[in-house]
Amino acid sequence: MEVIVTESLTRRYGRRIGIKEMSLSVPEGSLFGFLGPNGAGKTTTIRVLLGFLRPTRGRASLFGLDCWRDSRRIKAEVGYLPGDLRLYSWMSGAEALRLFGSIRRRDLVREGRELAESFDLDLGVKVRNMSRGMRQKLGLILAMAHRPRLLMLDEPTASLDPLMQEQLRLHLRALARAGHTIFFSSHTLSEVEQLCDRVAILREGRLVADATLEEMRRYSRREVTIRWKSGTEAAQDPPPFLELQERDGENWTCLLAGPATDLVRWASSQPIEDLSIGRPDLEVLFRRYYQQGRDPS
Amino acid sequence: MNRGLLAKALRESWPGTLLFGAGLALVEAILAFVLPRFQDQISILWSQVPFIQYLFQALLGADVGGRLGTEVLTCIAWLHPAVLALVWGHATVHCTRVPAGEVDRGTVDVLLGMPLSRWQIYRTEAVLWLASGIAILLMGAAGNILGSLAVAGVLRPDPRRLAGVIANLFGLYFAVGGLAWLVSALSDRRGWAMGVVFAFVLGSFLLNYLAHFWSLADHLSFLSVLHYYRPLPIFRDGAWPVRDIAVLFASGTTLWTAGGLIFARRNLSTL
Repeated sequence: MEVIVTESLTRRYGRRIGIKEMSLSVPEGSLFGFLGPNGAGKTTTIRVLLGFLRPTRGRASLFGLDCWRDSRRIKAEVGYLPGDLRLYSWMSGAEALRLFGSIRRRDLVREGRELAESFDLDLGVKVRNMSRGMRQKLGLILAMAHRPRLLMLDEPTASLDPLMQEQLRLHLRALARAGHTIFFSSHTLSEVEQLCDRVAILREGRLVADATLEEMRRYSRREVTIRWKSGTEAAQDPPPFLELQERDGENWTCLLAGPATDLVRWASSQPIEDLSIGRPDLEVLFRRYYQQGRDPS
Repeated sequence: MNRGLLAKALRESWPGTLLFGAGLALVEAILAFVLPRFQDQISILWSQVPFIQYLFQALLGADVGGRLGTEVLTCIAWLHPAVLALVWGHATVHCTRVPAGEVDRGTVDVLLGMPLSRWQIYRTEAVLWLASGIAILLMGAAGNILGSLAVAGVLRPDPRRLAGVIANLFGLYFAVGGLAWLVSALSDRRGWAMGVVFAFVLGSFLLNYLAHFWSLADHLSFLSVLHYYRPLPIFRDGAWPVRDIAVLFASGTTLWTAGGLIFARRNLSTL
């Protein structure tokens, strides 16, 4: 079942485009990474999905319900962490759990305390006295404490130290295993790569890619190094699937596009002493997606 | 209405309500205690300086003739600019909390992330607004009664007439609050919203005042919210100004509803 579905979703701010013609679907139970540089439209998309902003054109639905009309029903099943989190300064973590629980008509205290323990957060501290990292942890706890079907996190690792980032990843993986859907927005590839199984990439409000990480890896090129046998004559030109980057005597450094089978077949007929194929370099692929006017294919 | 949201709104607004209520009680107590003691001096000033008569009549919104009676002095306690400023101030501060206040302090994303409809948020906040308005006016009335205990019985306001003035003042509070809701629904900046409401009430005050000197202002005085707040006939004749109260409540309801419709339909998020 698809939890999030958008069809030609467009949101404009006057003459400026927030998102344009976005068609996206997120299956239930997935860890979905939503990648894009700053200002690409990630937060706008989330705000449209949560019914804060009305789409200019197109449709958006969560759990099969319209994001604008059925916003209240949708949000009962959603946990949300805003990108620019600001909590009520007068409340402590414990008060926040009681208050949010009362609004959601659910007891969040027990689950909240367990989460606070794993995130090492003192719930007795008032928000006004918390550091940014502590506020971020409280925001995460409040988003997760009611065990929502869909968790929408807008750049959640901001202000978290590496240990807490790892703790968050563990929690999110556990939630996804239990069938919860995670929608994880970020502008950092590495954290999405560590966590998500599917990625959509946004550039200037447009969706430029939507694929599993495996598919992404298949699209991306890999570094290949070839050492020719000494005394033999290296091939004059590389085959079409290899892009020569550097030629240093008997050593070649190339980029491989496409499957490795063509390379292996070609290499078996060549006087090659050693050959190594690197991991798919997603960073290169993502940088190309991010760059304006370039087609990564 | 959502209980959790009501608790949150109450937690945030009670100090302000207490402060405005205590301020109103204090001002009322002082005016009720002091004004009757200076009745003779004020009467002399009244009869000797015609300009003072104009000033008082403009403030009272009625021609009191050549006589400065007890009811006029009692009335001043409910028309004093400090009293109006406190009542309007509370309505303006309270009714711009949502959405302008939430957007301004950046918490609207958290609020809208809750499983609440925007009408639910609006209604819950409005329930607290009305309860707070009643509370501060009752505190003001209590201050007035306490202050008047120290003066002779004949100078004390009649409870039924006092209730009429409180009802009329609540209508005024309701109308100004309704405007504040509408302006808040249109705004992302609380300061701006409060400024607009302040400009409106100041304009109302001036229009009502000028209406006694300037015929053009007199023609337009029906636009002033103070045109519908007249404590003097209530204290003097004991008749409740039902029509005026109805106009104030109808205006407040219309403005509040318009604000709710805008709030429910507009795009909202942290800036």
